[in-house]
Amino acid sequence: MLEWLIENNVVCHALEAMIFASIACSILGVIISRMSLSSIGFTMSHAAFAGAAMGMFLGVNAQMSAIAFSMAVAALIGPVSDKAKMAADATLGVLFAMSMAVAIFLISYMEYMGKGLSASALLFGDVVSLYREEIYALAAVCCLTIIFVLAFYKEISAIMFNMKIAEAAGVRVKLVYYILLFIIALSVALSLNIVGGLLIFVLLVTPASIAGQFCFNVRSMFIVAPIVALLVSAFGVWAGFEFTLPVAPLVALLLTGVFALSVMLSFKRRINTKMH
Amino acid sequence: MSIVELKGIYTAYEGGEKAVIRDLSLRVDRGEYVVIGGPNSAGKTTLLESINGLIKITHGSASVCGLNVSSQADEVRRRVGYVIQNFYFDPFTPFTVEQVVMMGRFGRLGLMNRPAREDYDAAQRAISLVGIEDLAHKTIGTCSGGQQQKAMIAHNIAKEPEVMMLDEPFSNLDFHAREYLQGVFKRMVRTGVPILMVAHAFDGLPDIPIHLVVMNQGKITYDMNCMAEEVEDIIRKECGVSGKCLSG
Repeated sequence: MLEWLIENNVVCHALEAMIFASIACSILGVIISRMSLSSIGFTMSHAAFAGAAMGMFLGVNAQMSAIAFSMAVAALIGPVSDKAKMAADATLGVLFAMSMAVAIFLISYMEYMGKGLSASALLFGDVVSLYREEIYALAAVCCLTIIFVLAFYKEISAIMFNMKIAEAAGVRVKLVYYILLFIIALSVALSLNIVGGLLIFVLLVTPASIAGQFCFNVRSMFIVAPIVALLVSAFGVWAGFEFTLPVAPLVALLLTGVFALSVMLSFKRRINTKMH
Repeated sequence: MSIVELKGIYTAYEGGEKAVIRDLSLRVDRGEYVVIGGPNSAGKTTLLESINGLIKITHGSASVCGLNVSSQADEVRRRVGYVIQNFYFDPFTPFTVEQVVMMGRFGRLGLMNRPAREDYDAAQRAISLVGIEDLAHKTIGTCSGGQQQKAMIAHNIAKEPEVMMLDEPFSNLDFHAREYLQGVFKRMVRTGVPILMVAHAFDGLPDIPIHLVVMNQGKITYDMNCMAEEVEDIIRKECGVSGKCLSG
């Protein structure tokens, strides 16, 4: 897509993937951070990780199995929370531990059986070996995320305000919440190859937290978070290739640096000390 | 036909040893002002949440606005206003009072439909009616507890509900605000919208016949009409409280 701008195919693919992943994840991050569901990031990333390990174990496409396993976990979060009368955060903790256990079990078993499995690409990401289809899939998820937010903006904002009040107002809370979980599962599973299971959390949480330092309303958060994520990611890709540095950790560190700076500069935190 | 009709309902929480509400029947007609009183843990909030389907009714039948609460809970909630008892909005909540009031319309608008001119007008009317025009553009988390409570009342008025339920709506409000809002509710009652109010303080009740419901241990122990000035004494008597004590 950006070949007209960047000649090097590897850099071009990395940049495109980073742009789509950062836009999708940061938009979803605005919703989940406001709903105090940030832990969904690491639960989903580890579900995708476990799914990928399962795919490798079964000899099927790792990414497809990562998507399938993440979807299955997404489908479990809502009903388990409802049935067990647990906070969604506690359910996420249980499912995170289960996913991690499945992944470690399969990786250890494959090592024992003499089938080597390199988990580093899944854990830390590998932006230099992306297929065109993966980038198209990420572009599709990015569009899906934007369409979801535009179509259900009214419902999403009510849920972000207060889930119980939204439900009492007659908003279809569960339906929108379940769609959200599926889109997060899809975005995280597809982003796994780019930033890895451990760093996907940064894309989900940090841009939204940066936007939260300056924005007074949700609409501006939905605009600022992806712009910040996009700019930092693009800079990270350029700097990574220019100075031969690992791209995903570099982007994570850059975003964390911007977050630290935004906390220091945030005018929302200023206290008016004027006497008159 | 009554707008709220409960017949022998039971409501239980998962894991609870016994039902919170047991064999409870209640009828509320249009234009009634219902005060629900009783000691703590009597099941007053549970009763309100059973009426709008937030809590599952395990036995018995409940009909609100002609709808079956068990099978049409979403539609019931679109028609019933409910000011919840406890809420806290942190100072960084990214919504203004005006946006929160507008959210009261979202349920009745249906999925994906955008608010129209009439929805904005209804929200503005609710803001004016509650008297919070000066707070409209303030973020709700930076408002005081009383201001947040008024915003939540306006949120439910904007909904133009067929039944209005309020769970201790005056807990954070001063005397002036209580009296003013009681006037607002009295006007709603005159237009036929019944008010169901859980309360522990009864000052400023409107000078109209009150349908008083007293609950104790999940059951209704008193269900009759009375005058506003009799409410507190009847509740004391029903709860076995002798002498004057502070309400609140």
